[in-house]
Amino acid sequence: MSRDLNMKVNVLPVYTYNFLKVNDSTIDAEDINIDSLVGPEVKELPDGVSLRSGISFDEAGEIFRANKEKILFTTGVPGDPNGDTSFRDEEQAVRTGMGIDVDKLFIEAGAKADIYTVDEGKKVEKPVILRFDMENGKGMLASQVIHARKDSEVTVIMDYSSQDKEAAGFLGVSTRILAEEGARVNLVKTQLLGNQYIHFDDIGGACFENGAIRLITLELGALKAWNGCYINLVGKQSDFTSDTGYYCAGEDNLDINFVADHRGKKTNALMQFKGVLMGNAQKTLRFTIDFKNGSSGSVGDEQEDTLLLSEDVVNRTMPIILCQEEDVDGRHGATIGQLGEDVLFYMQTRGIDEEEAKRIMIKARLDSVARLIPDEELKQRVQYFIQNIA
Amino acid sequence: MSDNKQVVADIDRSLYDFKDVETEAEFYRMEEGLTEETVLKVSEEKNDPEWMRDFRLKCLKLYEEIKMPNWGPSIEGLDMDRISSYVRHKSDMKGKWEDVPEDIKNTFEKLGIPQAERESLAGVGAQYDSELVYHNVKDEVAAQGVIYTDLESALHGEYADMIKEHFMKLVPPTDHKFAALHGAVWSGGSFVYVPKGVKVDIPLQSYFRLNAAGAGQFEHTLIIVDEGADLHFIEGCSAPKYNVANLHAGCVELFVGKGARLRYSTIENWSKNMYNLNTKRAVVEEGGIMEWVSGSFGSHTSYLYPMTILKGNNSKMEFTGITFAGKGQNLDTGAKVVHIGEGTSSSISTKSISKDGGIGTYRSSVTIQKTAKKAKASVSCDSLMLDSISRADTIPAMDIRTNDADVGHEAKIGRISDDAIFYLMSRGISEEDARAMIVSGFANPVSKELPLEYAVEMNNLIKLEMSGH
Repeated sequence: MSRDLNMKVNVLPVYTYNFLKVNDSTIDAEDINIDSLVGPEVKELPDGVSLRSGISFDEAGEIFRANKEKILFTTGVPGDPNGDTSFRDEEQAVRTGMGIDVDKLFIEAGAKADIYTVDEGKKVEKPVILRFDMENGKGMLASQVIHARKDSEVTVIMDYSSQDKEAAGFLGVSTRILAEEGARVNLVKTQLLGNQYIHFDDIGGACFENGAIRLITLELGALKAWNGCYINLVGKQSDFTSDTGYYCAGEDNLDINFVADHRGKKTNALMQFKGVLMGNAQKTLRFTIDFKNGSSGSVGDEQEDTLLLSEDVVNRTMPIILCQEEDVDGRHGATIGQLGEDVLFYMQTRGIDEEEAKRIMIKARLDSVARLIPDEELKQRVQYFIQNIA
Repeated sequence: MSDNKQVVADIDRSLYDFKDVETEAEFYRMEEGLTEETVLKVSEEKNDPEWMRDFRLKCLKLYEEIKMPNWGPSIEGLDMDRISSYVRHKSDMKGKWEDVPEDIKNTFEKLGIPQAERESLAGVGAQYDSELVYHNVKDEVAAQGVIYTDLESALHGEYADMIKEHFMKLVPPTDHKFAALHGAVWSGGSFVYVPKGVKVDIPLQSYFRLNAAGAGQFEHTLIIVDEGADLHFIEGCSAPKYNVANLHAGCVELFVGKGARLRYSTIENWSKNMYNLNTKRAVVEEGGIMEWVSGSFGSHTSYLYPMTILKGNNSKMEFTGITFAGKGQNLDTGAKVVHIGEGTSSSISTKSISKDGGIGTYRSSVTIQKTAKKAKASVSCDSLMLDSISRADTIPAMDIRTNDADVGHEAKIGRISDDAIFYLMSRGISEEDARAMIVSGFANPVSKELPLEYAVEMNNLIKLEMSGH
């Protein structure tokens, strides 16, 4: 099934200079090929987690709509102030990083969602594991809602991989998360798809008081990948922490849009990105800390460390901080460049040549995220994958 | 507290806000709105050469075609049908202050320009509404071969070809809507040429005053600093406050030659009904240095991002800026840099303060092209929020197309620390004074880059804004 629709995704929360071509990204209709409208079945459902499968995408958003007054927030009218784009996605049940065009794709295609609900007060020990074994030439849309009731905790692992390293195909995933009061959702996404795959991964979440979302993402395969994440920190002392590692080589193109929307008091967000660009790879990273009025006592930090290993790479970074609150602490830091001469020199004094030094540094960057994976088997598989690409 | 009152009393807001009535007998004012007829009238007034008249008409067409920006602060309050593009006093430009019409001379006397010229400047240009009313350069500087004149004279004199070669080549009218508008109705501004190897020890200054209500000022500044030469150019601007919108869409084009150095300092204090949509750009040849020092205090709405193109190998750029957005202001400022040459380096350091509902946005772009091997770029932007009804946004961008570059970026946003205020208050300083002291300290990296008298003016402006007057 093919769709005749280009999607505008990863729209910046505020527009900037058009010549930079970073205000948004486009997924061409020809990149979207869908064979399956449901995601893989979970092999083992841990105690304390219930599952409702085959729910329409729209209906699956009901839990967010029921809390619309808490979750949805539009900061302005079109174009004011400062090119605010928040009005664009207000029809979404919960804002996501990639935006409303992803919702439209799922709804119009008739894709089904799985709703995982975690019992109140239940700390689920075993992770929910979803394995996406993507065959060559296949296309899939998959959607999940993770609803952690009060004071519960759950870890969900999504493992996207292809047996064939050269595999082509399409995988679009939408994950929407609600962490109620005192609840914690740990979400791990590892992408080891074939190097001709087209992939997008869209996340939207909301945290109520003392709620937390912990995200670990590794984007290591695929030819073109889009990643979006928008977390609404609506409750007091809610928390969002994310670690992303990526590797782009050859003609790879990776496009990211992360937003931490601070609305509750004393909310906390930390977004860290570590990655490597090689060959003719292109990467665009947009990440925003948005301190809304009322988010006093909040802290936001966004950090990027990018290693550039070819003279033909293109690296675009948009580290945005929006602030309407006096009592906040927001910061951003970026280090972008090749391997430092001092590091190389040190390595050489230890008998390590330049190529080997590069391999070590690639591995070190990606391993620092991979070792956060809570599932031992997956961690080893990811580390093996890293070993091979490095 | 009493000390604070004393300090505030020392700074007279009327220094900038006084206004002179412009009578029909003394002033020529073009009708509001922008049409081919008004553009041709401006051209006729300026006695343009044919190429310039044609250029203006081409720009008008572009202005009509180019869309308003879809980013940045709203400019809906700006209605070009209510803006007069050209207002001038009926007397000609003078080379002596004594000859300048009394009312205009008084304005510049109050602003301290003639005194500054006597004491610390190598030359002065003073523009009142759409035309320069005074231009002079010290004999010893002129003897070095430095040309400092109004652009219209240069367009008809021995530098006519040089103007034609450079005019709106760095900022083409296709760049954005207000660059096209500027090309259509530009008037006034200065032309500076510093010959090879000449170092001008003391600064040149242009001062722009927009006195007329509901008018636009569209001056064009063109500076060419030839190989190995050195210049510091200071730009000042102010206007009295009216209830109708005024527009400033000036254009600054700077050409920095091989091994040359240009420092361009601006203290902008337009009135708070001004839409300041200004475009500044520099191109730097091999080993050249471009330094920007920029203070933005006035205007209702600003779009201001001086851009530097580091074309030559080992060329350098430094940008130091401060923006203070107070009540009713939406100031969108920052810098842009494009690295093309090998070994180029840029450093952008900005401070932004938001208070009383003001919106301050830092917006920038750092582009490192594939050719810019061993380029270095560092960006540091700090924002200070003084209350929770204001807004401070940081919107930087980096586009890096070579691995052989070293790019660092840091941004911080926050408020005045309670501990610092407590410490100062424990030393007997009032809370208000403590806050003002901390803000002045925050602005210090910018003020120390300015000549003393301008640093004093800037600190006074900060005190004035802090006191809420």
